[in-house]
Amino acid sequence: MAAAVDINLEPTYADIDRSARAILAPPGYKYWIWIGFLLTLTLTAGGLWTNQIYNGLQVTGMGNPVMWAVYITNFVFWVGIAHSGTLISAILYLFRTRWRTGVYRVAETMTVFAVATAGLFPIIHLGRPWFFYWLVPYPNERFLQPDFRSPLVWDFFAISTYLTISTLFLFTGLVPDVANAREAATGWRKTFYSIVALGWQGSDRQWRNFSMAYLLMAGLATPLVLSVHSVVSWDFAMAQLPGWHSTIFAPYFVAGAIFSGVAMVLTLLIPMRWIMGLEDLVTPWHLDNCAKVILLTSLIISYAYIVESFMTWYSKDPIEMMTFHMRYFGPWGWMYWVMVACNCVIPLCLFSPRIRVSPVLLFMISISVNIGMWFERFVIIAGSLAVNFEPSTWRFWHPSVTEVMITIGSFSWFLMLFSLFARYLPIVSMTELKEGISWLKQALRQGYDEAA
Amino acid sequence: MSPEVELVGAFTNEESLLGCVERLRQARARFRVYSPIPMPHVNAAIYQRPSFVRWWVLLGGITGAVSAFVLTIGTSLEWNLVAGGKPIASLPPYIIIAFEMMVLFGGISAVLGWILLSNLPTFEPLSGYRSRFTADEFGVVVRCAEDETPRLESMLREAGAQDISREAA
Repeated sequence: MAAAVDINLEPTYADIDRSARAILAPPGYKYWIWIGFLLTLTLTAGGLWTNQIYNGLQVTGMGNPVMWAVYITNFVFWVGIAHSGTLISAILYLFRTRWRTGVYRVAETMTVFAVATAGLFPIIHLGRPWFFYWLVPYPNERFLQPDFRSPLVWDFFAISTYLTISTLFLFTGLVPDVANAREAATGWRKTFYSIVALGWQGSDRQWRNFSMAYLLMAGLATPLVLSVHSVVSWDFAMAQLPGWHSTIFAPYFVAGAIFSGVAMVLTLLIPMRWIMGLEDLVTPWHLDNCAKVILLTSLIISYAYIVESFMTWYSKDPIEMMTFHMRYFGPWGWMYWVMVACNCVIPLCLFSPRIRVSPVLLFMISISVNIGMWFERFVIIAGSLAVNFEPSTWRFWHPSVTEVMITIGSFSWFLMLFSLFARYLPIVSMTELKEGISWLKQALRQGYDEAA
Repeated sequence: MSPEVELVGAFTNEESLLGCVERLRQARARFRVYSPIPMPHVNAAIYQRPSFVRWWVLLGGITGAVSAFVLTIGTSLEWNLVAGGKPIASLPPYIIIAFEMMVLFGGISAVLGWILLSNLPTFEPLSGYRSRFTADEFGVVVRCAEDETPRLESMLREAGAQDISREAA
């Protein structure tokens, strides 16, 4: 499979530039058909949202007691996806992990667009989205201020900070690469790259300040990444609802976020590597290491599922036990078992080193992880609301076309932004690949020895 | 005194560049380096202290955290509604806001710091810059008096410079 690709096992700086700049060549008609397809789906979802604003939330399947369903599931899912980007770009940077160089720009770009997608859902979820700005603390004629003791206000601050910092982090890393692309570009691209690169020339003074800023931003982003999904989990854990009110939610959600995020990195990276001919920059070694992170986090969340069930059984709280009984065997029980299969069982295949370097199998596993993690969010959020303290109010949600299409629209919106970025800005970090060129050579040799 | 000129030497690897920087530093020459990758060793050889950006980040972080406490406590006192029997100004939840704002302000200060301290944005290339210095070669630009050029040129050549050119300073 991999051996059929003509790979240069001893790349130079110029080879890295050539491969990375080739992606920035003007795209063909197939690319525009893809973008047009995604844009159509996104606009359809936008149209349905407009209809929802006009007619109210009755067009969704939500109602008492399931007032948080697919939209909030999507919000938590996309925030989770965003997590691996900062894990790979900041935490692995501080640990000087070598394999991050080939994948970190993809992960970081994914982070920014995933947070941008996630941030839409709390607004989409509102009956009166035009009052969204009431979350912002500012002096106003109503003399009202947000309640800073509420987890929803913490969440507003956490997500806004995360979006800003991940965008700035992505931008900072991009500048030297865009300056590189500027030198080979012509026409409007040269003007565009010149503006984005801010006039970067790679002088010692520029690198000195850049390196310090990058290191400190990584240091700030590391606790941020852990805090953001903890805060998202507290949106649930701070409530009294059985199935939500749990002290393990923060680490459980963070592990799940990294799990789904790295899976999404592979979902994007594997086809991109094939379509754009990046086999000599993103090697089986990079894929193997991403797969190991997926395996580790899969084991952590499997443990969390077991502990969560054990604590419910040990508490002997009848309402709590009923919630979990319905979670396993209720009308939505199939979702729970899909989640267990996708998140706990299928990733065990990654114990096999052969599977970890097989792009096709890894792609399939990463898709199943994404499906499993979406269901996990849904089972926790809507499943716990459907079965609450009062059996007479139990009600199970049924999706409406609006909710299904807006969910599909969120994927198309995310993929459209990512696809546009990948063709117009450097999607692999030339600077970092050059910095670790000796590791890249070693990875290429090892990868192809193993493949042979 | 003879007029000043700039010698531009191109290197193909970081080791030769580092050797050249060491020699130039010992010779107390005035020089600037270009590189396509970060150069911690070269920077350590040129600069005695770490970048000033770290103070920007510290100041930004402190400003963010303090502003968050002022905001949360101030607005709670202004809208003093007791909720859930908690104190009007409950510090534990405000620490979360303070943490987020510390990171936000610290991160923004880091980016502003590296941009402004690097004299960016600029659309005028620095003297001696070549387009390949952001791609696959390293460059050293030495500013010296006209009569010093033979000595410095031979120093660059001995250090491994592939291509040496001269520009008016």
